[in-house]
Amino acid sequence: MDEDVLTTLKILIIGESGVGKSSLLLRFTDDTFDPELAATIGVDFKVKTISVDGNKAKLAIWDTAGQERFRTLTPSYYRGAQGVILVYDVTRRDTFVKLDNWLNELETYCTRNDIVNMLVGNKIDKENREVDRNEGLKFARKHSMLFIEASAKTCDGVQCAFEELVEKIIQTPGLWESENQNKGVKLTHREEGQGGGACGGYCSVL
Amino acid sequence: MAADSEPESEVFEITDFTTASEWERFISKIEEVLNDWKLIGNSLGKPLEKGIFTSGTWEEKSDEISFADFKFSITHHYLVQESPDKEGKDEVLEDLIPQSMQDLLCMNNDFPPRAHCLVRWYGLREFVVIAPAANNDAVLSESKCNLLLSSVSVALGNTGCQVPLFVQIHHKWRRTYVGECQGPGVRTDFEMVHLRKVPNQYTHLSGLLDIFKSKIGCTLTPLPPVSIAIRFTYVLQDWQQYFWPQQPPDIDALVGGEVGGLEFGKLPFGACEDPISELHLATTWPHLTEGIIVDNDVYSDLDPIQAPHWSVRVRKADNPQCLLGDFVTEFFKICRRKESTDEILGRSTFEEEGREVADITHALSKLTEPAPVPIHKLSVSNMVHTAKKKIRKQRGVEESPLNNDVLNTILLFLFPDAASEKPLDGTSSTDNSNPPLESEEYNLYNQFKSAPSDSLTYKLALCLCMINFYHGGLKGVAHLWQEFVLEMRFRWENNFLIPGLASGPPDLRCCLLHQKLQMLNCCIERKKARDEGRKTSPSDNVTNTYSGDAGKSGDHLGPDNLKDMDKEKGEVGKSWDSWSDSEEEFFECLSDTEELKGNGQESGKKGGPKEMASLKPEGRLHQHGKLTLLHNGEPLYIPVTQEPAPMTEDLLEEQSEVLAKLGTSAEGAHLRARMQSACLLSDMESFKAANPGCFLEDFVRWYSPRDYIEEEVIDEKGNMVLKGELSARMKIPSNMWVEAWETAKPIPARRQRRLFDDTREAEKVLHYLAVQKPADLARHLLPCVIHAAILKVKEEESLENISSVKKIIKQIISHSSKVLHFPNPEDKKLEEIIHQITNVEAIIARARSLKAKFGTEKCEQEEEKEDLERFVSCLLEQPEVLVVGAGRGHAGSIIHKLFVNAQRAAAMAPPEEDLKRMVPPEERRQNLAADFPPAAGRELILRTTVPRPAPYSRALPQRMYSVLTKEDFRLAGAFSSDTSFF
Ligand SMILES: Nc1nc2c(ncn2[C@@H]2O[C@H](COP(=O)(O)OP(=O)(O)OP(=O)(O)O)[C@@H](O)[C@H]2O)c(=O)[nH]1
Ligand SMILES: [Mg+2]
Repeated sequence: MDEDVLTTLKILIIGESGVGKSSLLLRFTDDTFDPELAATIGVDFKVKTISVDGNKAKLAIWDTAGQERFRTLTPSYYRGAQGVILVYDVTRRDTFVKLDNWLNELETYCTRNDIVNMLVGNKIDKENREVDRNEGLKFARKHSMLFIEASAKTCDGVQCAFEELVEKIIQTPGLWESENQNKGVKLTHREEGQGGGACGGYCSVL
Repeated sequence: MAADSEPESEVFEITDFTTASEWERFISKIEEVLNDWKLIGNSLGKPLEKGIFTSGTWEEKSDEISFADFKFSITHHYLVQESPDKEGKDEVLEDLIPQSMQDLLCMNNDFPPRAHCLVRWYGLREFVVIAPAANNDAVLSESKCNLLLSSVSVALGNTGCQVPLFVQIHHKWRRTYVGECQGPGVRTDFEMVHLRKVPNQYTHLSGLLDIFKSKIGCTLTPLPPVSIAIRFTYVLQDWQQYFWPQQPPDIDALVGGEVGGLEFGKLPFGACEDPISELHLATTWPHLTEGIIVDNDVYSDLDPIQAPHWSVRVRKADNPQCLLGDFVTEFFKICRRKESTDEILGRSTFEEEGREVADITHALSKLTEPAPVPIHKLSVSNMVHTAKKKIRKQRGVEESPLNNDVLNTILLFLFPDAASEKPLDGTSSTDNSNPPLESEEYNLYNQFKSAPSDSLTYKLALCLCMINFYHGGLKGVAHLWQEFVLEMRFRWENNFLIPGLASGPPDLRCCLLHQKLQMLNCCIERKKARDEGRKTSPSDNVTNTYSGDAGKSGDHLGPDNLKDMDKEKGEVGKSWDSWSDSEEEFFECLSDTEELKGNGQESGKKGGPKEMASLKPEGRLHQHGKLTLLHNGEPLYIPVTQEPAPMTEDLLEEQSEVLAKLGTSAEGAHLRARMQSACLLSDMESFKAANPGCFLEDFVRWYSPRDYIEEEVIDEKGNMVLKGELSARMKIPSNMWVEAWETAKPIPARRQRRLFDDTREAEKVLHYLAVQKPADLARHLLPCVIHAAILKVKEEESLENISSVKKIIKQIISHSSKVLHFPNPEDKKLEEIIHQITNVEAIIARARSLKAKFGTEKCEQEEEKEDLERFVSCLLEQPEVLVVGAGRGHAGSIIHKLFVNAQRAAAMAPPEEDLKRMVPPEERRQNLAADFPPAAGRELILRTTVPRPAPYSRALPQRMYSVLTKEDFRLAGAFSSDTSFF
C-alpha cells in the first residue's frame, strides 16, 4: 500500500490552547469526537494517508500544545513542515486576536518560505459565536492563507480543510519533492566555441 | 487486355533490393531521412530580416546513416521560423527557384557575429550536412568524395528536396564541404578551396573578382554588375598602459594580519589575469559596386578609418583565474578529504593533550569527577594563549602547520574578548559587534542556513577558507580547528562565554555547527550561574544573564529565571517517567537530607491542602496579579521555574523520531505525553512549593487559564457569585494532568532534578566538535562560505552597477537557498553554485577591465559618458556591438587610439628580424606607420545574377565568399546553373 504513496508531508497544527486542535485531528484521522480528550502535553503525532486528485499522500501530522509553557518546545517542530494549520475558536475572540503571535512565531521558525498555511475557525456548531466568518476570511486573505470554518464535533469542514491543504502543497513546486532536480535556474549559457572542434560548431570567423 | 496488363506492370515495378549495392542503400537511407524530416519540396519562408541570423534561434536535428560499415551523421541545421502556410502556394511556387538560392543574394545577414560556417559562407537559413560520425574519421580520397557527392545529387533528384545538402570531406578541422541544391530546372553547386598558403592574387579585391568572373564563365557583355561586401577585422592584443590592475595578494604580507588588502574575515575578489584578452574591430563596407573602389596589390581605397560600419567584439579570457572563485572552490575540495584531524596532524592530538595537561581534556572522565574549580581570576588575554601553549608544548613551533603570528591573528580575530582585560559577561559579546542589521543581507543566513555574518561561526568559516588557501592547506585547517576545539573546552571549563554567538537557545535557522556552539554557550551560561551561585550567598546572587526565551513566554508566566535554581544542590524528585532524565545526571547533586526531611514526608500523594499549607513557601517569583488561592484566599504566586532544555536540531530530530516511533495508538499517545511531561511536573512542583496548600484549580488558573471556567450563578441567598470549575477535559478522572498533579511534590525549582544537564550536554558538544574531520567541518561551514561569497559579489557589483549581474545574483541566491536547505545537498549542486559565483566574479572583472580600457571614468561629458558606459556593457552582453558613428564616433575614436598606441609600441619594440618574418615585405612597408595592424581577417562576398551555363540560360544567383586569415585562405563558391535550358 505504501508503494503508491507519492510523498510524505509534514503538517503542523498550532493555535491557542483549547481551540480544538486535537479534536480536529482526531476527527480527521479517526472520524470521532471525544469530549474526554485531555489537554495536549508537548506534541502529539498522528499519521493518515489520503488521496488528492488521484495522488496518495501520507500525512505525518504533529499536534502541538497551545499551552503557553509548552510553546518553547514547539518551534522545533516547525522545521521542515510543508503545511501548517492555524486554528482559532470562533466562540472565543481572544483566540482569534492571538493569531498574530502565532504567525510571528511561524515566520521566525519556519525553515522554508514557501510553506502553505491554512486558517481554521473551529467550533462553528456552538451558539455563542464571537468571531464572524468574514473576519476570518479577511485575516486569511491578508496573510495569504487558505481559510475554512469547521467543527470537530459535527465534522463540518474538517476533511475539506486537510484535503485543500494537501492539494495546495502538491501544487506548490519544490515544496513536496525533496529532490527537486531541474528546479534550479539554468545560468550556464552556451559558451563560445562549444559545439566542438573545427567543424559543425557555431563560431566566429577568427 | 488492359486487365491483363495490370498484374504484369505491377510485377514489373517490383524493385529487387536483394542485389542493391551499398551505394544504393546509402542513397535510399538519405532519402528516407529527408522524407522523415519533411524536407521535400519548396517552402518559401519570409525574406530574411536584418540580423535574424544572430537574433533568431538555430536548431538542429541529427540522425545516423552508414555507407557499408562507415558511419555518417546527417544533420539538419535551420533557423527557427514561423511556418508559412503552405496551402495553395505550391502551385504558384512551381516556377520559383529554391529558397536557398534566393538567400545567396540576401545582404541582410552578411558577416554574422556567430554562426555555423556554412551560414557565414553562403548566407543559408537551412541546410543538411552529412559528415563522418566519428570525429577523427575523414573522407579523403577523391573517388570517395565524388561518390558521396553523386549520392547526394541522386537523393536530391529522387526526393525533390530543395534544401542544400552538403558532405564534409577531408579532415574535420579543415571544414571543407561540398554540396548541392536542386530546384525545378536549376541547380547550385557549392564548391570550396581551402589553402594554407595564399597565392598573391587572392589577397585583394581585384584578384578575387577575376576568379569569380572566370568561375561564372559568363560571356555576356557588359557583364551584370557584381555587388561586393567587405569586412576587415583587426585584432588588438596589446592594451598598452592598461595593465590589469589586480595583483594576486601578497601571501607574505599577510602575516601581519591586515596587510596587502587582505584581512581575515574579508574575501578576496577579482581576476588575477586580464579577463579581456583581445578586442576585435570589424570594419565593414556592406555594399560596394565594382569599379567604385580600387583594391589591388599596389594600392587600396579600403582604409578602415573610412569604413562605413564598425563593430567590435571582445574576446574573453577562457576561465580567467578568479580569486573568490578559487577560494571557495578550494574550500569545497576539503569536503572530499577523508582524513581525520589526527591523521592530518600526524598523531592523536587530543589524547596526548589530555594526558599531559590535566585540565584540558578528560572528555569522558569528566562525567564522573567533580567539576573543576573555576579559575575566576584568570585574565582573559591569557586565555587564547593558554590553549596555544598547550599545543606548542606538544610540538615544536616549527612543526606547527600554522605559523604563530598567523595563528595569533586569527585567534584574536575570532575571540576579540581575549584582547580586552576583563572577561566578558554573557550578552555583551554580541552586543559589542556590529548591531544586527534588519537588512535583507543580514538575514541571508536564514535562507542559506548559514550563520549571521557577524557570528563566530561565520568568521571561523572565513578564516578556515583563508588558511586553506594561503597557510598550509588542509594541515592548516586541521591545526586551526584543533586550536578552536581546545579553546572551546577551555571556555567551558573556565566559565568564559564564547563570543560572537547570539544568546539563548540554539537558533534552528543556522547551520548545525553554529547551533552546537550556541548550545555550548548555554551550558557555559548555566554552569557559570551555578558556580557563581554556589560561591556567593543566595541573596546577592542576582546577576542572571540568561535571557533565553524569557521574552517569548508571556508575562503571566514571568521570565524563566534560573537565579536561584542551583544555589544548592537539590535532591532528586521522585522519578516520574520524564523525558530528559537518566541515571548519569545526578553525579553532581549533593543529597540534602535536611531538605528531604523538611518536605518529603509531608508531600505524599494524599497531601491535602491542610498539611501542605503548613509548609514554608519557597521559590516564589512574584504574585500573579490579584489571583488568590481558592481554599484560603492567600495571594497566588508564580513560581521560579526551570528553563526547558535548549536543543540543537539533531537532538530535536532524535527526539521527534522517538516520539513518532511510539505510534498513533492510545498507549503510544499516552507514553508520548508522559515523556514530555517532565517540564509540566517540574512546574507543578515549583508551583506547589511556592503556594503551599494549593489545588489543581489554582495551578490551572495560572498555567492554562482557559481550562478554568467561571460562571456567574445565583446562590441560595439570591446573590450573583462567580463560580469556577475546571474545564471538562481537565476533570476527566486520571487524565495526565491530574495524575501529574497528584505525583508532584512541593519542591522549588532549585532543588529539583535538572531538566537540562549542562555538563553532559557540554561534553557531548565538545566531543562532537573534537571528532569532526576537516571534511565534516567544511560541509558544516560551506553555507557560510557561500553566504560570504555572495555578499562579496553583491558588494562588488554595487560598485559597478551591472543590471544583468544583479539579476544573476538574485537567481543564485534563490537557487542556493533551495539547495542549502536540504540536509545533504548533492555535490553537483554545490559545485554549480560555486561555478555561478565564479562566473559572476568574472563578469564583474570583465566589466572593470573594459571600463578601465575605455576610460569611462575619465569621460567628462555626461552624455558621452553614458553612451560609453552603455557601449561597454553591451560589449559584455552581446556577441558583437555596433560602433555608432564608426571611426568618427566617440567610442570609435577611443578604439582608434588604442590601435594607434599598440602600433607605436610594436613599431618600436620588436627587432627587425621578427617583423620580417611575420609580415610580407610590401605589407610591412604599408603598415609600419599605419594606425592599424594588418587585418587579421579579410572577408569578401561577391554576388551577382547571371545566366549560366549559356548566355540564353536562366539568370541565377551566383555567390563567392572568401576569407583570408593568418592561418588559411578559403574560397567558398555557390554557382547556379540552369539544368533545363542550356
Ligand atoms: N462544541 C465543540 N467543542 C469542541 C470542538 N472542538 C473541540 N471542542 C472542545 O474544546 C475543548 C478543547 O479541545 P482540544 O481539542 O483538546 O483543544 P486543543 O486545541 O487541542 O488544546 P491544547 O491541546 O490545550 O492546545 C475540548 O473540550 C473539546 O471537546 C468543536 O468543534 N465543537
Ligand atoms: Mg490538544
